[in-house]
Amino acid sequence: MDSFIATGLIGISLGSQYTLLALGFTLIFGILGVVNFAHGGFYVMGGYVAYYCNVILGLPYPVAVMLAMLSMAALGWLFESLILERVIEDHQATLMVTMGFYLVMATAILMIFGAESPQFPFPVTGVWRLGGIYFPYANMIVLGACLAAIVFVYWLVYRTNIGRGMRAMSEDLPVASALGMRTKALFPFAFALATGLAGGTGALVTPILALAPHVGDSVLAFSFLTVILGGLGSVTGATCAAFIVGLIEAYAAVYLGGSKGALTLFALVLIILVVRPQGLLGREVRRS
Amino acid sequence: MTMRLGRFMCGTLLASAAFGGAVSACELKIGVPAVLSGPAAQWGIALRGATEFAAKEAMEEKRLVINGVACTISVKTIDSKYSAEGAASAASAFAAEGIKVIVGPVGSPEVTGMKPVATRNRMVAMVNSFAKNSIGPEWPTVFHIGPGPSGWAAPIIDAGLQRFKFKTAAIVAPNDQGGTDIASVNADIFKQRGVSVTEEYYQRGTTNFAPIVTRIMSSNAEALDLASSPAGDAGIIVKQMRQAGFTGPIFRLGGPGTDEIARVAGGLDILKDFLWYEPVYMDDKMRALEQKYEKLMGSARPENSDFFRWTFAARMMIKAVQIAGTVDNAEKISAAMRTLPVEDEHIGKGYWIGQKFFGINQEMSYPFAIGVIQGGVKQPFIRADAVSEK
Repeated sequence: MDSFIATGLIGISLGSQYTLLALGFTLIFGILGVVNFAHGGFYVMGGYVAYYCNVILGLPYPVAVMLAMLSMAALGWLFESLILERVIEDHQATLMVTMGFYLVMATAILMIFGAESPQFPFPVTGVWRLGGIYFPYANMIVLGACLAAIVFVYWLVYRTNIGRGMRAMSEDLPVASALGMRTKALFPFAFALATGLAGGTGALVTPILALAPHVGDSVLAFSFLTVILGGLGSVTGATCAAFIVGLIEAYAAVYLGGSKGALTLFALVLIILVVRPQGLLGREVRRS
Repeated sequence: MTMRLGRFMCGTLLASAAFGGAVSACELKIGVPAVLSGPAAQWGIALRGATEFAAKEAMEEKRLVINGVACTISVKTIDSKYSAEGAASAASAFAAEGIKVIVGPVGSPEVTGMKPVATRNRMVAMVNSFAKNSIGPEWPTVFHIGPGPSGWAAPIIDAGLQRFKFKTAAIVAPNDQGGTDIASVNADIFKQRGVSVTEEYYQRGTTNFAPIVTRIMSSNAEALDLASSPAGDAGIIVKQMRQAGFTGPIFRLGGPGTDEIARVAGGLDILKDFLWYEPVYMDDKMRALEQKYEKLMGSARPENSDFFRWTFAARMMIKAVQIAGTVDNAEKISAAMRTLPVEDEHIGKGYWIGQKFFGINQEMSYPFAIGVIQGGVKQPFIRADAVSEK
């Protein structure tokens, strides 16, 4: 029973991290119609910015996380408005441009910091224990921060005028533009929000796992998987799917083993997509 | 007059072509398929650094002289990505450039992918890999840099049993040939010593090992072996195992990389009780080699101690080329290699082995060391003799 509860905690913890990544990914697709292959790169770079600020410059960890978020948001804003905006109408071009930007980021990290993992410890150590159940304080803090960020994104998307504007553009871009929504400001804003979330997640998660130039690859894969499962462009779908993926990954790995667990996760996602090709909460027809 | 001038110019051209041809004929090109990205990058960096060093050393000291001409040695490195397809495509690229001498790659999947391409293109290779079929009679021009866990896991487990009490162990490794071959060999050696073993495998690319850690904790293992898990992965596993409350000794019966494991895990305190295979015993000769590298290359040697093994391997390859008197005939270089004693000016003397395990006597064996961290404190290395089949 203890391991069942401990596994649930792991699943929720994984789910909250996947949610933050998937929310950014799905926001970009929902509003801009762009599949952002550079998403993993913003995650890794956020981790390295936090590492640089915290370990090299000696800034407090929370400040480092904020700087990582802001710098990734700024980079995202610049990337969208200077590069992506020029090809936004061409779906294939956006795929190539985001993929290319990911390679540029990964190579830049490799050249600046090297291929080996730096030591980037989480400032809080210790583990909460209750019988056989355990939960590291670091994971608890990261879970809390992730949940707070999820609440913030929901508030922004569903309770503010900016959010309403973004949702309107996601629903029907020509009509939203005709009604006065400023795509020149809202597109880069949505992109910056998403990349800021990815950078913040990287800054929070890499100290409890590991920081290395390659860790964005699996992040991209899981974000894509989660968003497809939830329904491309659906914020609530991405959130539900992220927790489902996290829990399945945890329970399958614990009770079936590492290899079969990964297989089970992908098999279940495959079955769900066969039954509901549009994803859990996605619409049947969508524009890009 | 015009005819004489024409003849003179033709003669000059022919002479320069002949002279130039003789010089360019003595360029040894070494292909290095090395993993330079991903969690195993530290191993590839050591391989690349060692080969570049051995090449520069040989040129500076004129160690490679064929037909009275000091040869130039160039090193071409391609990222083999710790995958069979990465190494196979690297070997194909080398073949396209006419490179016949290969040093590397590091991992079992890479070696498995490269061997057929190397054999088809008549290349001579000095490979690593702890796989059960790293070398064999079907690949006569492939040599092995040193024994895998079948050669050195037993003394390390014995050193662990002397220091710590455990009757059960869990082995965790990636679920491909680079993991399963090593884990199964280690498991057999643990069992021979009365330790019951469970094997846990994970998908390469996993970044959060918490579920696998929960599974291992449920098995009540008293010791853990990280086998050949890349250093980056191994560091996360150690960190999460200790967070989960695991207090037993941890073995690293795979490739070296303790420094990176400690960095990722959070320091020596987290490793606490840790034993690993160290490819060489650090003594004054080794330190002299480190200094030589620093002087020649202008920077500290690559961190991973596989650097020493690859230096030895690259030097042996250059020696074999020297004896063979050819830079591009794999069969002649292989034949020359078999006549060489396993001996290095810094690492010491060893043996050719491999007949019993692989069916071919093409594995180098030389003294190694056992690394021990006890209570979070690094202990002096324990020197171990070269494994012999005699």
